[in-house]
Amino acid sequence: MSIEIISIIVLFVSFFTLLLLKVPVAYSIGISTTISLLLNIDKMPGLTTIAQRMTTGIDSFALLAIPFFVLAGEIMKQGGIANRLINFAKSLVASLPGGLAYVNVLASMLFGAISGSAVAAASAIGSIMTDRMEEEGYPRALSASVNITSSTTGLLIPPSNILIVYALASGGTASVAALFIAGYLPGILLGLAIMGYVAFIAINRGYARGKRATLLEVWTYFRKAFFSLLLLVIVVGGIVAGIFTATEASVIAVLYAAILALIYGDMKMKDFPKVFLTSAKTTAVVMFLICTSMAMSWLFSFEGIPEMISTFLLDSLSNKFAIFLAINIILLIIGTFMDMTPAVLIFTPIFLPVVTTLGMDPVHFGIVIVLNLCIGICTPPVGTLLFVGSGVANVSVTKVIKSLLPFLAIMVAVLMLISFIPEISMFLPRLFGL
Amino acid sequence: NTEGPEVLYLGHTLPQTHPVHKGMLEFQKALEKKSKGTLKVKIFPDGQLGSERELLELLQIGSVAATKVSAAPLSNFIPEYNVMGIPYLFRNKEHQFSVLEGPIGKSILEKGSKFWLRGLCYYDAGSRSFYTSKKAIRTPEDLNGLKIRVQNNQMAINMVNTMGGDATPLAYGELYTAIQQGVVDGAENNPPSFVSSNHYEISKYYTLDEHSSVPDVLLIGTKYWDKLSEEQKIWVQEAADESAQAQKRFWKESVEESMKVAKEAGVEIIIPEKSLFAEKSKSVVEKFVKEYPEMESLVNQIKNN
Amino acid sequence: MSKSELIFNKVNKILEWFLIIIFALLVLDVLFQVFSRYLLGQSFTWTEEFARFSLIWMTILGAAYLNAKKEHLSMDFLYDKMSVANKRKTAILIEVFIFLFALIVMVIGGLNLVYTTLHLEQLSGTLRIPLGYVYAVLPFSGFLIMCFSIYHISGVYSNKNKS
Ligand code: NA
Ligand code: NA
Repeated sequence: MSIEIISIIVLFVSFFTLLLLKVPVAYSIGISTTISLLLNIDKMPGLTTIAQRMTTGIDSFALLAIPFFVLAGEIMKQGGIANRLINFAKSLVASLPGGLAYVNVLASMLFGAISGSAVAAASAIGSIMTDRMEEEGYPRALSASVNITSSTTGLLIPPSNILIVYALASGGTASVAALFIAGYLPGILLGLAIMGYVAFIAINRGYARGKRATLLEVWTYFRKAFFSLLLLVIVVGGIVAGIFTATEASVIAVLYAAILALIYGDMKMKDFPKVFLTSAKTTAVVMFLICTSMAMSWLFSFEGIPEMISTFLLDSLSNKFAIFLAINIILLIIGTFMDMTPAVLIFTPIFLPVVTTLGMDPVHFGIVIVLNLCIGICTPPVGTLLFVGSGVANVSVTKVIKSLLPFLAIMVAVLMLISFIPEISMFLPRLFGL
Repeated sequence: NTEGPEVLYLGHTLPQTHPVHKGMLEFQKALEKKSKGTLKVKIFPDGQLGSERELLELLQIGSVAATKVSAAPLSNFIPEYNVMGIPYLFRNKEHQFSVLEGPIGKSILEKGSKFWLRGLCYYDAGSRSFYTSKKAIRTPEDLNGLKIRVQNNQMAINMVNTMGGDATPLAYGELYTAIQQGVVDGAENNPPSFVSSNHYEISKYYTLDEHSSVPDVLLIGTKYWDKLSEEQKIWVQEAADESAQAQKRFWKESVEESMKVAKEAGVEIIIPEKSLFAEKSKSVVEKFVKEYPEMESLVNQIKNN
Repeated sequence: MSKSELIFNKVNKILEWFLIIIFALLVLDVLFQVFSRYLLGQSFTWTEEFARFSLIWMTILGAAYLNAKKEHLSMDFLYDKMSVANKRKTAILIEVFIFLFALIVMVIGGLNLVYTTLHLEQLSGTLRIPLGYVYAVLPFSGFLIMCFSIYHISGVYSNKNKS
């Protein structure tokens, strides 16, 4: 057996052992990388190289968008924005069959879109909506499932931190601006698909409709939610119109959210240090994962793993569709036990060259990989969103999983559509010439 | 292990279609032939092992043996490389390579050893020129008020600002979108990069003012070099020298090919009066010499070569 | 409150303020970059580099702080099923792993990196500060993480003695 194969086996075995022992994911990645690299090169150069990769791996201006979007989201979480979005969503869709479930979907989509974080959306909307839905007869586990899956749409609809991470991992072949625009239709499609399934259940089980809101009420709630929604226009519009880059847009979002919070009275000046600290912590969780993942992905390059896998895929599978399908299946499996950020950082350099050889656009692949991993964060054993969503709904994870299964099937169906119909992702970027 | 061939890891940031990558393939071929297969080269293109600055560090750390970088990041260690960025320092390609391949160039390559980075040879990276999306640059005056993306270094910024433009340092990865969306009005680069970056798709004008000619440099870490036998060292140096000659041919072919692609895509190629641009950028060198007085004699030596 | 607890809390307070200040500077720096380009019509070369270096410091100091608070992302599906005694053993094992990584990679590897870059006088592109100072966050945070691990391990032992 070659040293490359041995060190890869060592890498995976040690990684999963550490993960099972509850060693933090970032450290599991770092420790297994260290053991594996030291099989290949001398101790001091090896250790120093990992130290260097951990630091330079995050030495990127583009990555600054992550702390800024986190901060903007955190500022908005302070105020009554979740309530404003729920009221607006309710005035639009509550009168349809299964009305409250739609409100949940739409509010999670809007909150996810604005905050760029599925976990934030699931916790902000889920905690309010689950109780309201239970009053109308919805089982809590069902509400949690609706909430969890619809929150993932915020990772596709811009701004989205995971798409920024992907842009970095793609080595600049996919621009953040193009990815942001590309995410709209897939994100909305996913939301609609979830609503479709909800309608099916609601009609079958005869859940109540809400009363129809008058145009005036819609207008009132829209006005209250207007400035929160305007953020989306400023950020994405600013990028598309060439006023600023994606990173600069993220800091504008911070400024905007801060001014809004001060005007609405949701926050006072003295609240800011705490918000900065909470955001710094959230940032460090993601960014430190990036640090060690970048070291691992360097190890992969050093051992020629991407080349090995791509040669294997291209030689053993003759058909382009078979290869796309195989990559989707591999990513789905990876997603069940790996968190999004390291998965994107580690597997993008491996699969991107394969799919681009076959004519797939790097932007399209970005949407595919992110949607794949969106499914992953809703599944055990490693499912951040599943745990958060069950937690805020106050239901056991096992109960949620049962009602979650059909929703996951819907997500997989949408994934297939988006994988094999590139226009869904590429129509808007092409329209804007990105 | 003494059994198998020794492998020299070489990382760089260029795509595999790039003429400088082809130069390194020549280095690989020549070294394997000279050493009868006992010294092999494994090339990692596309920045797989890191950016230029990071690769330099990995050479110093000792985990990567060799790299190819532009002279610009080397100037962080060796200020002499800064001199190469002076606009219109070289009269033409012949002048440039007679300087680089003569005693002046060799002595600069050797200066790296103090920093654990031994220079092996120079590769031709051509000359950089302006390209713009909306307004054509025909004279230096046309630069007035144009936002031009430059690399984030003082010399490049001074040059564009002195010529009347508005120098905007921006990450290379963000540049395509920035030109397209009008965040900047243009940028500057050599013809092969102009094409390989696809910037020709969104730039209507390419003004061949050829303001600077910064070469690429092939380097080997002294941590690796010192482990080689005398015979192996000679092979490595000879292979590098041979690849440098072959690479100049690849570069020339690539420039012709790139210009053809750009023209066919409808880019207007403008051949301006270069002396006007040279005249306008004169104060850049004066400012540089004032800041680094110890470099004055080197600048003069090159000019009088 | 024991003396080690007092020091632990003090160090955390200092870390918190470090993180808040770096984050605030980061926001101001990038805002300045955008506004200087639009309002002053001028770009400064140092804003980008300052932002990148601050992000590195904030991330790796933040990682140390997360260690203090035990707030790194981890997977507890197996851990949840363990007995109390096994949980205790595992908790110590986790801290030992973290301690070793911090010592070997962050402190030893990091110090060699700092030494190499300082010794070779590598300066950053525009701010002209020695890159060794940027990398110094790695051994510094590594040292903090080692201390936090020891603190947590001693906490597990003292809890055991109490119960
Ligand atoms: Na979003
Ligand atoms: Na999962």
